Amino acid sequence: MDAFVAAAIHDAKNSLNALGAWLDEAGRECPSPALHQAQTLAARLSAQLVELLVLYRAGEGTLRLAIDDHDVADFLADTMAELELTDHRDIAFTCDPGTGTAIGHWAFDAYLVRFALLDALRNALRHARSRVALTVALEPGGGMRFTVTDDGTGFPGDVLDGGVGEMAPGSSGLGIAFARLIAARHATPGGRHGHVELANANGASFSLVLP
Amino acid sequence: MTIDLRELRGLLIDDVAEMRTTVRIQLADAGLERCDTARNVKEAVERLGANRYDLVICDYNLGQGADGQQLLELVRRRQLLPPTTAFLMITGETSYEQVSTAAEYAPDDYLIKPFTSGTLHTRLERILEKKEALRPVYQHMGERGDRAKALATCDALLAQPSRYSLDVLRLKGDLLLQTRRQDEALALYEGVLRQRATPWAEVGRARALAAAGREDRAREHLNAALAAYPNYLAAYDSLAGLLKKTDAAAAQQVVEQALKVAPSTRRQRSLGALALDNRDFSRAEEAFRRAVEKDRTGFFKSHDDYAGLAKSCVEQGKTQEALSVVKEMGDHFSRTPELAARQAAVESLVHSRAGDSAAAKAALDRALAVQQEAGLDPTTALEIAQACFADGRNDEARRIIQAVAEEHYEDDTVFAQAQSVFAAAGLKEEGAIFLEVTKKRMIKLNNDAVALAKAGQLEQAITMLQEAADRLTSNCQVSLNAAIALLMHIHKRGPDADRLAQAHRYISQAIVANRDHAKLPEAVALYRKVAPEGAPVLDI
Repeated sequence: MDAFVAAAIHDAKNSLNALGAWLDEAGRECPSPALHQAQTLAARLSAQLVELLVLYRAGEGTLRLAIDDHDVADFLADTMAELELTDHRDIAFTCDPGTGTAIGHWAFDAYLVRFALLDALRNALRHARSRVALTVALEPGGGMRFTVTDDGTGFPGDVLDGGVGEMAPGSSGLGIAFARLIAARHATPGGRHGHVELANANGASFSLVLP
Repeated sequence: MTIDLRELRGLLIDDVAEMRTTVRIQLADAGLERCDTARNVKEAVERLGANRYDLVICDYNLGQGADGQQLLELVRRRQLLPPTTAFLMITGETSYEQVSTAAEYAPDDYLIKPFTSGTLHTRLERILEKKEALRPVYQHMGERGDRAKALATCDALLAQPSRYSLDVLRLKGDLLLQTRRQDEALALYEGVLRQRATPWAEVGRARALAAAGREDRAREHLNAALAAYPNYLAAYDSLAGLLKKTDAAAAQQVVEQALKVAPSTRRQRSLGALALDNRDFSRAEEAFRRAVEKDRTGFFKSHDDYAGLAKSCVEQGKTQEALSVVKEMGDHFSRTPELAARQAAVESLVHSRAGDSAAAKAALDRALAVQQEAGLDPTTALEIAQACFADGRNDEARRIIQAVAEEHYEDDTVFAQAQSVFAAAGLKEEGAIFLEVTKKRMIKLNNDAVALAKAGQLEQAITMLQEAADRLTSNCQVSLNAAIALLMHIHKRGPDADRLAQAHRYISQAIVANRDHAKLPEAVALYRKVAPEGAPVLDI
């Protein structure tokens, strides 16, 4: 990606954030479903631009992760707070912060991992028939796994095979490319790295495993 | 636990008026109605000096070449921000990584723009709850804290299950290292790392290993940590500190890498000093110039930046530029003996290097005259020593270095500076021997006195230690040994108001020099044991 394009994306992202703030203010003065939709859309676009910029920085060799300890239960609560569940009232969503409490703390870049998970969750909410779940668990050999599952039609074959091709109308594969990058950039001094696992089992299953 | 933000007082620091207005409204929405504002570093420092805040909310980008991270370091170092005050940094998407992996002085939390009032509220509650839970430890930290009590409080908190156990462990590790209990610190960090990998415990383990003399292992762990966490500034700082002793060129590279992660005047200064040692004068000039020019607030600069810039200029033949820098140095700082002596010493060095020996001699005489009048900090004294070498007054230089080294024989930083002075004069080998001999002499003095005391010759031990403690007022070990010998005398031979007063004076002297000295608790405990009711109380 060209540096000019990156700079333009950066400006566009900031403008979208400003637009979001104005829509927020307008919504407070005069709440309406259309304003809410516009706000949600502005936030989603801004998030996609952040993902693009992160991929650009990775290509330029300037992406640096900020790894530090985070309370996993707080992290789950913050992630949920950013998810617009009111737009999906027909979907049963489950996430038990108690599982995070049992884990305690984990060292990771909460900002970037949250982007990856929110993308996966929005994707699941879009494709689910009736239910979406977010779980977190420790890996037997070390590591921590976030899993997003839905009961939709599952991932297309080429995506399961590791491609980032067309997933569905309106999906660019950006989210999965971003998640794979962020997971892989998480490492431990012992040499373990994070990764993403995709599977189909009565719907789509997206796992982001942190080392 | 619910915290009512209405009862608290906050300070919001942001250089952009619109942002101040917006965030202030969001803070009021969250319940924080009593909130002062500051537009820049100067106002922030004034407000923090005049008032007590429960919470500081600060934007990372403060304009004028200043950022919130440097401000946080400054106010923590100057003790303007008590550990009980919560500090929330607000950052943009592109600078959060510099805040979240900050080294020694990390904010309590950071919030990435844009955020909603709801998110701000949640974060504020969370950090205030944590501050409250850790308050029993924090109240024993800071300027007048008692680290032994802080450690005991950590243990009491760790005895009960709490969601903040890890935060307590982190504090405990730092406290153990500060009080030189490196073996316990090492066990603590290894315990955490057995559970899972995390950068703070990696760096803590390396610091504990280094403190225990296992520097090779410490370097290995830090290199492995940096491969996994290339953004973790504390790892760079620790590694550069270790390498400085053995491989200044490698240390310079590590500081260069850290500067790519996060800009900081302190690291530019450190880079400049290493580049000067490595005779990489153009790089030194660049680093010091950045330190001097980038910070337009003036709050983060030090005498070292101007002195380093002048020295790196003159080494490249830019004499006039170097002299201008010496002059500018006088315009930026308040007039103190340190400033006058430093300016004169650096001016002398510049003239010596440029071959003007008459001007060099005149300037050096001015520096030495200030030194006669006032006690100077070790850095300034060593600068004068360097000017003495440059002017051919080698004996005078050695005398100054010896005095500094005897006072600060336990301080590795001062010893490294002294070694640099010898190296700059082309006397690297002599310097290494000279400093080693000085250190050994000080250790022998203490050991001999202790041996005399153990052999029952307490009077002789006291005479020996008092003579040294009166001469070396910044030497903690000597001061504390003198106090302990006096107190042992009282303990064995009965009350003696004069000896008690002298012991009190030596312990106080040690507290001023280094309140974290490992021997201090022993001396304080003994004083409290033998001091009768109504005796002067120790101010710790």
